[in-house]
Amino acid sequence: MDRRHFLKFSAAGGALLTGCAPFQVKDTKAHVVVIGGGFGGATAAKTLRLLDANLKITLIEPKTQYVTCPGSNWLFAGITNLTQLSVDYRTLQVQYDIDLVTQSVATIERNIRQIRLTNGDSIGYDRLILSPGITFKWDAIAGYSAEIAAIFPHAWQAGLQTRILAQQLQAMPQGGVVLIVAPPDPYRCPPGPYERASMMACWIKQHNPRAKILILDSKRSFSKQRLFEAGWRANYGYGTANSLIEWHSLADNSINELHKASKTVISEFGDRFTGDVLNIIPAQMAANLAMHAGLTNPHGWCDINPLTSQSVEDDCIHVIGDAAQFTPMPKSAFAANSQAKACAMAVFNLIHQQPMSEPHWINTCYSLIAPEQGISVVGVYRLDDEKRRIIAVEGAGGVSHAFEEQISRSEAGYARSVYQNLIKNSFG
Amino acid sequence: MRWLLMWLLMTAQPVHAEFNPQSVVMNCLICHDSEKNSSSGEVPDLAGLTSAELHQALLDFKYDRRFATLMPRIAKGYSDAEIQAVADWLSQ
Ligand SMILES: Cc1cc2nc3c(=O)[nH]c(=O)nc-3n(C[C@H](O)[C@H](O)[C@H](O)COP(=O)(O)OP(=O)(O)OC[C@H]3O[C@@H](n4cnc5c(N)ncnc54)[C@H](O)[C@@H]3O)c2cc1C
Ligand code: HEC
Repeated sequence: MDRRHFLKFSAAGGALLTGCAPFQVKDTKAHVVVIGGGFGGATAAKTLRLLDANLKITLIEPKTQYVTCPGSNWLFAGITNLTQLSVDYRTLQVQYDIDLVTQSVATIERNIRQIRLTNGDSIGYDRLILSPGITFKWDAIAGYSAEIAAIFPHAWQAGLQTRILAQQLQAMPQGGVVLIVAPPDPYRCPPGPYERASMMACWIKQHNPRAKILILDSKRSFSKQRLFEAGWRANYGYGTANSLIEWHSLADNSINELHKASKTVISEFGDRFTGDVLNIIPAQMAANLAMHAGLTNPHGWCDINPLTSQSVEDDCIHVIGDAAQFTPMPKSAFAANSQAKACAMAVFNLIHQQPMSEPHWINTCYSLIAPEQGISVVGVYRLDDEKRRIIAVEGAGGVSHAFEEQISRSEAGYARSVYQNLIKNSFG
Repeated sequence: MRWLLMWLLMTAQPVHAEFNPQSVVMNCLICHDSEKNSSSGEVPDLAGLTSAELHQALLDFKYDRRFATLMPRIAKGYSDAEIQAVADWLSQ
């Protein structure tokens, strides 16, 4: 039996996982390296420190400022800005004694448990936690690329592109058209494109009321659809000839080409859509680093053992967040935080050779339809009886009861409050 | 009491990974800030609540005896025994 199958096999039985014994002698500190200072990585580093005062913990992240994707759609309604959406790593460094390395990882040399940074330095690890986020399948839309994304932003990694897209929206001629090309599953933040359409509609309703937002979707349905559509009917004339938002399902006829000069996107069967502002959100997969390290499956995501979040390819490496396959959990910051905590518990137990405790996860995604109207979706997750698969607990979770004035007003308040707590809980 | 409960939980289901209320509570703290007094309209802070109050609130959410926007969807994810263990853990 090879190592990979041994891991799968032993994990299924819930036995103690071995095979990744520390290189070091027993009384030196174990070294856990975390790659990626997003929601997954920051929470993992912080939680590990709360569990273990003695570990050596290193966090590697190239950016000194991280702009949160959660909340970034609110920019389109003019109710936040990039400064308010930015966090740094000072608290993690100072208060949680985490060694911060402001560099990019070039390669993971798995055979010698060492990380090579792009500046040439190397860092050894006993256990590695990988939370590198996503990259885009650029070849899915001919004519679209990382360079063109500076002109037709995806804004699916918050930052400068988010601001550019908001400026394009604001500069659009009266009666202009915004095209949002929504990606196929799975992708980060399933309700994200529809919250974005809502926030853009909120802005054009005030400043450009003859304009229109067309969502061109490669899916047949979408997250919280019933609630979004009810909210759009109540606010944006959805379903009428003057609707500010139109949703077009292009299932089996996805957008696969961009004609840049004419600002036109073209579907497989040749349907053409022309707009003034193009927000193209391509299909996604785990960040390049995960693929180069040989940790991805044929679909581009990292398979893990959900009991411990260890990669099925390498039992010294744990993968969490958007890059990992935690189905049926959606890819969200909330989920990445929850996965990071279960992962930190598992890493702690493995290092101290203690029995595993049962992991528990929760996800909640709030979306704003208008600044004072919110909706939510919840999932409560645990392992199935065989401890092999993650299941959504039956009878729990689900979407907001209804789109109703009083409830949606409360949920808009909770959306802001949960955002603040999520940031504080993840970054210190 | 807590140990008896843990023992009951562990023997009731034949699982190899044991139930640990901390694994659940860490998720509650994503929304419920443990250090801050929340003002109205914000997610309530749980710091001042006793184990009995937490237990009662969670069961009321679970069995739809108390109206709320979100908590019923979460509370339904746990057995009554797990809710008891979570309330005990949180109140310490
Ligand atoms: C518009 C939008 C709105 C969203 N709204 C919400 C919301 O309201 N609620 C919610 O829960 N989620 C939301 N999300 C989803 C959320 O942003 C992601 O699910 C979350 O960021 C995933 O966290 P992560 O740690 O997996 O990855 P990321 O947050 O992307 O972090 C990955 C980090 O790894 C670093 N990295 C990558 N490669 C390397 C390398 N080679 N070396 C070193 N570092 C590296 C990157 O610099 C990055 O900082 C939204 C997403 C979008 C796009
Ligand atoms: C996604 C955010 C979120 C998560 C996760 C969450 N809560 Fe809540 N909680 C709320 C909100 C919002 C309320 C206010 C009631 C409502 O509308 O649902 C609340 C209310 C409560 C209350 C009532 C407090 C009071 O003062 O009356 C208790 C108790 C509680 N939650 C416990 C928990 C526990 C235990 C967990 C973890 C199992 C948890 N919560 C997870 C958002 C959350």
